[in-house]
Amino acid sequence: MARYGMALDYKSCINCKACESACKEENGILLGADKHRIWVGVKDIEGIFPDLSIASSGFEPSQCQQCDNAPCQSVCPTNATYYDDNGVVRVNPDQCILCTYCMEACPYDARYIDDRTMTVDKCNFCSDTRLINGETTTACQATCPTKVRIFGDLDDPDSEISQVLRDRDHHSMKEHLGTKPKLFYLT
Amino acid sequence: MSIVGASVAATALAKTEAASNKAKITDFGLSKTQWSDKLQEIPTLCEMCVNKCAAIARVEDGVLTKLNPNPLFPKSRNMLCARGNAGIQALEDPDRLKYPLIRVGERGEGKFKRVTWDEANEYIKDKMVKIIDEEKDNRSTIGFCAGEGMAEHTYKSFMADKIGSSNFVNHGSICLATTIAGYTLTLGGYGQADLENAEYVIMAGANRAEAIVTPDTMDVFKRTKGRGTKLIVVDPRFTNTASHADKWLPIEVGTDLAFVLALTYVVVSEERYNKRFCSENLSDFEEYKKHIISNNYTPEWAQAITGIKADDIRETARDFMAHAPRAIYYQGRRTAWSLQDYQLRRAQAIFSAMGGGIDKKGGIIFGKKLPLGSHDINSPSYDNAKERIEKSKAASIGTSGSWIAWRNTIIDGTAPYPIRAFFAYKQNPMLSIPNTTKTKQMLEKMELVVVIDTMPSDTVMMADVVLPESLYLEREDPVKSFGGTEPSIALRKPVVEARYDTKPVIEIMRGLGEKLTKPLFEISKKYDESLQEEIEERGEKAVFKEDGYDLAEGYRHSQKTINHHMVSSIYGEEAWKTLREKGVFYPDMDKFFKKISTNEYEYYPEHKKNYSVIQGDLIQEPYHDTCIDIEEIAVLVKKFRTATKKIACALYNFEKRKGVDAMPKWRDELYTPTPVGKFKFITGRHGQFTQSGSANNALLLDLLPENYLWINKRVAEAKGIKFGDNVAVKSKIGEIQIKAYPTEKIGPNVVFFIHGFGAESSELTLAHHRGANDNMIIEDIYETTFGSAAMHETVVELRRV
Repeated sequence: MARYGMALDYKSCINCKACESACKEENGILLGADKHRIWVGVKDIEGIFPDLSIASSGFEPSQCQQCDNAPCQSVCPTNATYYDDNGVVRVNPDQCILCTYCMEACPYDARYIDDRTMTVDKCNFCSDTRLINGETTTACQATCPTKVRIFGDLDDPDSEISQVLRDRDHHSMKEHLGTKPKLFYLT
Repeated sequence: MSIVGASVAATALAKTEAASNKAKITDFGLSKTQWSDKLQEIPTLCEMCVNKCAAIARVEDGVLTKLNPNPLFPKSRNMLCARGNAGIQALEDPDRLKYPLIRVGERGEGKFKRVTWDEANEYIKDKMVKIIDEEKDNRSTIGFCAGEGMAEHTYKSFMADKIGSSNFVNHGSICLATTIAGYTLTLGGYGQADLENAEYVIMAGANRAEAIVTPDTMDVFKRTKGRGTKLIVVDPRFTNTASHADKWLPIEVGTDLAFVLALTYVVVSEERYNKRFCSENLSDFEEYKKHIISNNYTPEWAQAITGIKADDIRETARDFMAHAPRAIYYQGRRTAWSLQDYQLRRAQAIFSAMGGGIDKKGGIIFGKKLPLGSHDINSPSYDNAKERIEKSKAASIGTSGSWIAWRNTIIDGTAPYPIRAFFAYKQNPMLSIPNTTKTKQMLEKMELVVVIDTMPSDTVMMADVVLPESLYLEREDPVKSFGGTEPSIALRKPVVEARYDTKPVIEIMRGLGEKLTKPLFEISKKYDESLQEEIEERGEKAVFKEDGYDLAEGYRHSQKTINHHMVSSIYGEEAWKTLREKGVFYPDMDKFFKKISTNEYEYYPEHKKNYSVIQGDLIQEPYHDTCIDIEEIAVLVKKFRTATKKIACALYNFEKRKGVDAMPKWRDELYTPTPVGKFKFITGRHGQFTQSGSANNALLLDLLPENYLWINKRVAEAKGIKFGDNVAVKSKIGEIQIKAYPTEKIGPNVVFFIHGFGAESSELTLAHHRGANDNMIIEDIYETTFGSAAMHETVVELRRV
């Protein structure tokens, strides 16, 4: 048992989309721009040529924020969305009825419909593809060229992620909503 | 509530149907998540671009299910980009070339019949024998080209050394010829930017966030944004690299030389250069300083040309020298931009050297390269093989040629003898060489076109004979040594069995060699007087055997056997075993390699890294870029390096003999200003696409479905062009149509789109007619020092359609 989380050194992101393609290949996600578990947010740059604000540009890698208090879980009428033993928010395809409440409830827009399994699916930290087979990290973490991600057990005080979160300032997305995400953006 | 309830019920119904589908899917094993018992993890090297990152293939029951990064390789440092991950789609692409083909319709019509390898080779033999006989054994009548790749040398050695043609062209003259030459002639080597330790980097035109090169991309972007490296990006476009910059300096297209000369002016006039380093290591430095000052290359002068404010030029020059020697003017890679490109690279190299950051940690370093055993090819010498046809079209054309000059020489009637046959390996000149119309004309003139490739590219569609190569995941390639501060040897070996009737290059050469040996030897006997004399003296059998006339010789062993010899002859059997098992080898790897954290690995301890390797002078052979013909550079170096063995500010011999300016000099006549109302067109790469090579990859097209025209937002507004509108882009040589992307990230007199789209080949289901082909509009202009393409000299006009 663990409580998995991820720290993102997001300033290193170059929007190369290695994480998106690794995720699709690892988890068998169907092709299509609206079918993804993971993406890179791009902010529109401010200013007019040649006076552009570099600070206003930049990339924000994102995915399911693995909330400890997940709105998608609490609205799910069939308990298809659940917390697994490692604190990962998962979806049971056999119980999902495609009501899409979770899509509405998620403040991070992290849910999508998998037309193959007919499930409103999402990132599960590669639990059913890598972790179950003994891998210790996610496909996106492993492949990243600029090494944005640190994945690990938040309950283990000696884990790298716990140390990094102790040592460095960080924030989570939309903290004011009380969702208690387990994704942390290092500043 | 009731409405919601109803909708839940309705969905639940739909779900029942889906559930039965799902059961079926499970039957097919698609929802299986537990990895197979027969799981293998096989190390190999990626070939989705030219970078050669180390990958580990997860193969289950003989099926490739995932490509992961291999942490052991110092060059790619445990990463695999989007394209690397998409390698599975390249393997599974239903459009792949599967069997040897012979054309049955008109050339270019795309009608082929499936044949055996023997039938294909027989067809090639008949044509070659006729052509070479009629050309009286002038082997150079067979032209050939190659894209960069680990088997490029195997192919090149067969065509150049065995067949005996001098008419080879490769990517150099449409890519990095000017920067390799500029840095090599100036510093004695192209070197490698030590971005892991540099504190100040000027990256001009290079776009390492989108045109990924390892380890540069990983090293630099971990340290930008106030984390150790100050990054100055000089680019007409605000790229993903620019979003990591401390300062972005949009520059007028084609004026970079003026910018560098003005930086130099500031440093010279304010005496900010490293005086000790310069006095000891730069030759003709006093003359260079005089040259810079007397030509008045002031920041104000440069501002008028480049559009970059004089104050920004001053600040950049001062900052650079304040951080030197850990300061780099980044060499750049695809530098085929302007007519002044070679002198630009010289000026950059000298400017970097003035800070002292050459062969030093945090500067441009040369590193070391681990030697490999040899695999020699015994090549016959042919009396009647003539020198390359475009030799006189630029000051110095090497063995890799000038693609544009070469092609144009064939079609404009100035060739001293005809090129009657053309072989292409792993290159797609129909899309990659400026002026597609002329490339088509060239191919139409040929009596024989043979194309070796994996995909039915536009060039394949122009072929008479198509020879399908196995994909990189299916073959073993020549083992390669990668130089640098942390040198290593890495191996590409097959992770799955080769599919269809495809072969690796070495076997293709073997088959051709066996077919061609006898008839071509007979032709040489007819026309080659030296051969006739040798036969008279030593007898035909001995001459044939000893002088290399057996064309298949050198290609008969498997690549694995050759690799085994090349590694074990130097490092022993253990090293060979390690390389095969781990994909990577370097001495003491077992002791040195350490995992530091999730994301950090140590390959060599700090004191074992090869930052400074040159002792006393520049004689020692430095580390060169991995995709450059080392022999060619060595010749250049020998020929042009100054007698003083110092960093060369002036190359008087080159000037005397070839009329090339001894010192970098801005020449107004070589610069085309952009007329009002028109635009300079620039092209470039993208992190999800490798030229036209990955144009049919389903996963990559999912990330980037087509290319768009970058146009300044306000200019677009004035022309009534909105996002997604179709725009016609017209140059002197052609017109294309493309969708518009209005943005403030580009200036009002420049337009841009990504290279590699716009395939015409109807056999590429996904790539066919998707986006636009830049080489339909890029003019076939080349600079006259090395014959390198000047791709950013094209002026275009726009019209909404």
